[in-house]
Amino acid sequence: MKHEIRFIINGESRSLTVLSQQTLLEVLREDLGLTSPKHGCSTGECGACSVLLNGEVVNSCMVLAAEVDGADILTVEGLATDDELHPLQKSFIDHHGVQCGYCASGMLISAKALLNRTSRPHEEEIREALVGNLCRCGAYADIIKSIQVASRARR
Amino acid sequence: MKAFDYIRPNSLEEAGRYFAQGKSVKILGGGATLFLQLQNGELAPDIVMDVKDIPGFRDVRYHHNHGLKLGAAVNLQHLVTGLEIRRHYPLLNQTAHQLASPQIRNRATIGGTLAWASPVSELAASMLCYDAVCHTWRPEGARAIPIGELYLGDFKTALGPDELITHVHLPSFPVRTFGVYQRQTVRHDGRRMIAGAAALAVRKHNALTNWRIAVLGVDDRPKRMPEAEALLAGAPAEEDIEQALAAVQDNIHPQDVVYARADYRRTVLDSLLRRSIQAIIDNLQDYNA
Repeated sequence: MKHEIRFIINGESRSLTVLSQQTLLEVLREDLGLTSPKHGCSTGECGACSVLLNGEVVNSCMVLAAEVDGADILTVEGLATDDELHPLQKSFIDHHGVQCGYCASGMLISAKALLNRTSRPHEEEIREALVGNLCRCGAYADIIKSIQVASRARR
Repeated sequence: MKAFDYIRPNSLEEAGRYFAQGKSVKILGGGATLFLQLQNGELAPDIVMDVKDIPGFRDVRYHHNHGLKLGAAVNLQHLVTGLEIRRHYPLLNQTAHQLASPQIRNRATIGGTLAWASPVSELAASMLCYDAVCHTWRPEGARAIPIGELYLGDFKTALGPDELITHVHLPSFPVRTFGVYQRQTVRHDGRRMIAGAAALAVRKHNALTNWRIAVLGVDDRPKRMPEAEALLAGAPAEEDIEQALAAVQDNIHPQDVVYARADYRRTVLDSLLRRSIQAIIDNLQDYNA
């Protein structure tokens, strides 16, 4: 079954036709060319496909594209402005929060969701916010540091 | 995923009509478990029915006499942030903080989580302590199923194939209700559960009444432990706690899993439950101090 959907992606309104069984992740990557959300486990364990759906972090591999009609979605492509990286992105570069990089988009999105509601999270809050994001390089310590420094730099 | 038709009914009657078509229908709440089965091909329904737009399914209502009504499509994150939950259902709130991950809590629904009927459902253990009642609808009519009768063990429920959970009702509890949940898992997101122990009691003067104990990971479903609860009534002394813990050991049937042997799960449960009970007694003493 086909569905006409309209939604806001990274601040821009888009409409397109999707099939019932297409996931949001597939549509973002294949139809919209937004490849920051990664295909990891398909089971909601790894968080590599995380996006913000109406401001809340979700696994885009476990959302049907047909479900997001009318929604507001943010991927890492929407974090930076034309000429400047988001403070989180800068901090991930400066403090080695990116090792192989596969989990980085999901980490950034979970961090963004956290900073949206808590401007100066302490380490325990950061760890809680990253429960749904796995890093198989094991770069957690640097990821947590990157988020901490970014939150301090913000104000 | 195999092709299916995604539909989003706006009423129970409309949902009922899809059930009546003779096609295979699967209900979608947040998809946290349905997607696993769709992705691995275990399920290939004709129709995936999203119930989030059915009136009342996203409602949360609290009344100090009547208790709490949680619509089936309310997400698990609401149990973390909802004021009425934080204030009046501390055990549920504490349990919710530990459920899965933010990604999953933002999507997974109360109805979907209960209907999945995991033998290690932490949500169900908490709901058991609060005597929650599951309200359902099917074309023949509505019915109410106490949460203890919903689970038949090993992912089986008393729900029919054309039956929807509409909402869950929790009776009201006094403000002076203490609840503690303790668990041991291999992974921080709750996967690979070894055991969990929920305890709840109501302070009455200098004593604790209405003890409720629910355990998980040690049987084919989360279970209340009425024998232990009876032994704890009043102001339990050290030997009462020992007897209650022994009664729990007599009433559980843990299974070996690759990451924990049955006897280890017994030992872990004993420690967790001891801590939960002691924490409630400490709460009372702090309160009196």
